[in-house]
Amino acid sequence: MTFATKRGRRSNTKLGRRLAPYLFVAPNMLIFAIFIIFPAINGFNISFYNSNNGRTFNFVGFGNYATLVSDADFWSAVRNTLVFVVLFVTLTTWLAILLAVTLNAQVRAKGFFRTVVFLPVLLSPVVIGLLWNWIFDRQNGLLNIALSHVGLGAPGWLVSSGLAMGVTIFVALWTHTGFYTIILLAGLQGIDGNVYEAARLDGAGPFQTLRSITLPLLQPTVFVVIILAAITAFQAYDFIYTLTGGGPIGATTLLVQYIYDHAFQSPIEYGLASAAGVVLFLTVLFATLISFFIGRKREAV
Amino acid sequence: MSGSNIFVRKVEANSQSPRTWTTMSSGKAPSLLVVARGVLLVLGIIVVLVPIAWLVLSSFKTPTELASRPQVLLPASLAPTNYVDALQRFGFLTYLRNSVVVTVAATALTLVVNSMAAYAFSKYNFRGRDFLFVTTLATIMIPLQVILIPVYQVISSLGMANTLWGLIIPGAATPTGVFLLRQYMLTIPDELIEAARIDGAGEFRIFLTVIIPLAKPALAVLTIFSVIWRWNDFVWPLIVAQSQSVYTLPVAIAQFSGELVVPFNLVLAMSVLSILPIIIIFLFLQRNIVSGIAQTGLK
Repeated sequence: MTFATKRGRRSNTKLGRRLAPYLFVAPNMLIFAIFIIFPAINGFNISFYNSNNGRTFNFVGFGNYATLVSDADFWSAVRNTLVFVVLFVTLTTWLAILLAVTLNAQVRAKGFFRTVVFLPVLLSPVVIGLLWNWIFDRQNGLLNIALSHVGLGAPGWLVSSGLAMGVTIFVALWTHTGFYTIILLAGLQGIDGNVYEAARLDGAGPFQTLRSITLPLLQPTVFVVIILAAITAFQAYDFIYTLTGGGPIGATTLLVQYIYDHAFQSPIEYGLASAAGVVLFLTVLFATLISFFIGRKREAV
Repeated sequence: MSGSNIFVRKVEANSQSPRTWTTMSSGKAPSLLVVARGVLLVLGIIVVLVPIAWLVLSSFKTPTELASRPQVLLPASLAPTNYVDALQRFGFLTYLRNSVVVTVAATALTLVVNSMAAYAFSKYNFRGRDFLFVTTLATIMIPLQVILIPVYQVISSLGMANTLWGLIIPGAATPTGVFLLRQYMLTIPDELIEAARIDGAGEFRIFLTVIIPLAKPALAVLTIFSVIWRWNDFVWPLIVAQSQSVYTLPVAIAQFSGELVVPFNLVLAMSVLSILPIIIIFLFLQRNIVSGIAQTGLK
């Protein structure tokens, strides 16, 4: 009798242990399935239909993709996105490395400098866009007031297309670089101090140490930063909404804004916007895979 | 309050750094490298702090002061007129409440579902584990922005459009959170779990009483990240919240600044009020961030 109940209990716990992991992952996976995986698949599906209200759909095959290819606004958004992503990722990575190495060597007021560098990461992108829009204002912006005091004139920062893209990249750097700096700092602190001691004994100067020890050992972290920065850059829209609104004349309209405009501003074209979403997804996937393989190859060497 | 704290600390640091140079030059001249480092750090601080200081100072200016040309640098008075006005008019308190509800509820949900999933991924062997984990990581590449329309359709067919639920639930299962917590939980020794099992603890009790207390540093990091993401989230709330009663602070500020219905001095006051809570939370928890990122293997 006792034996039987004991065996019963044991097989119960065994069953419990087998079932437990599925129950643990279930809530997370359920939310994933409903709000990410199903919509991602459905997005492909919608891209083959036309709809201007989200209720009636007409099958058009590759019609939306054909429209995209012939739409000058789409190509302009693609070009802007690529320029923005490449420049932002390159500059933010180098700047974050520079800041992390500098902060790592800084002894006095260490906590203060780190807090300041991280500060923009905390701020709402909407407020950041608003603030810089006002600072870069041609007539009455803080920057042009300062520039005219030193006799440098008053450039129309947000009026000329080239300058507006430059401003957009600058504001993105201002917002995000602190985050990557902190990640790289963590990476730097993981490097064994003995390596530096050995390099010093061998008579290596500070630049040589940086080039032949710090940077190679930091590479895995740099690689994480590049991927995170690229994914962030492909999604950029929030601060642009209040900074330039995508203007002047579409010069800072990136793909996410193109999707948003076609999906939620009249005339509504769900199918076209979904097709643009598919293109954006494939681009992100492609970029991530490329950097992943480059990273793997480098690590192997 | 925390804003003034930052500036007090800035003064302290500035008064410290000249001392560094003098003490150094009394011995030997500072090397080029040290000078370059100092210049870079001071420049960085100016670029970060000047715009924020400009925002805070200007939020006290009257509309006349804001419109004057050339722009006045300092407000004539530091009376919080704009703040009182912003709080009393334009439903600011509603947007504030919505932001708080969404941030708190979404962060709580994220912590619960992510930590449970991370525990299963780190401490159990089960069929399909690797497939599910890789799928989870792969979704980092599918941000909401890319699938705006199909997610919106799901939301509206579930009756969640234009409700706070529609803001809270879809982003709750963050892949970053699962990854971060899993990496941390891998470092928890299996012996602790085995010992608890021998003591007769059930699987869920082990999770609650053994794993969660040990994973606190990683949970703190995820809490900070989740609060930052949710509080500042913009594109998704912009789509889900169609009526003003569901607006969060960023949506309200963006709409108001575009429409010119709300005076700019009040938009500035709202902006400062919207960034204050997050800075206060950060100053309380900042110790956890650098050490947490280092420990959780996000490197």
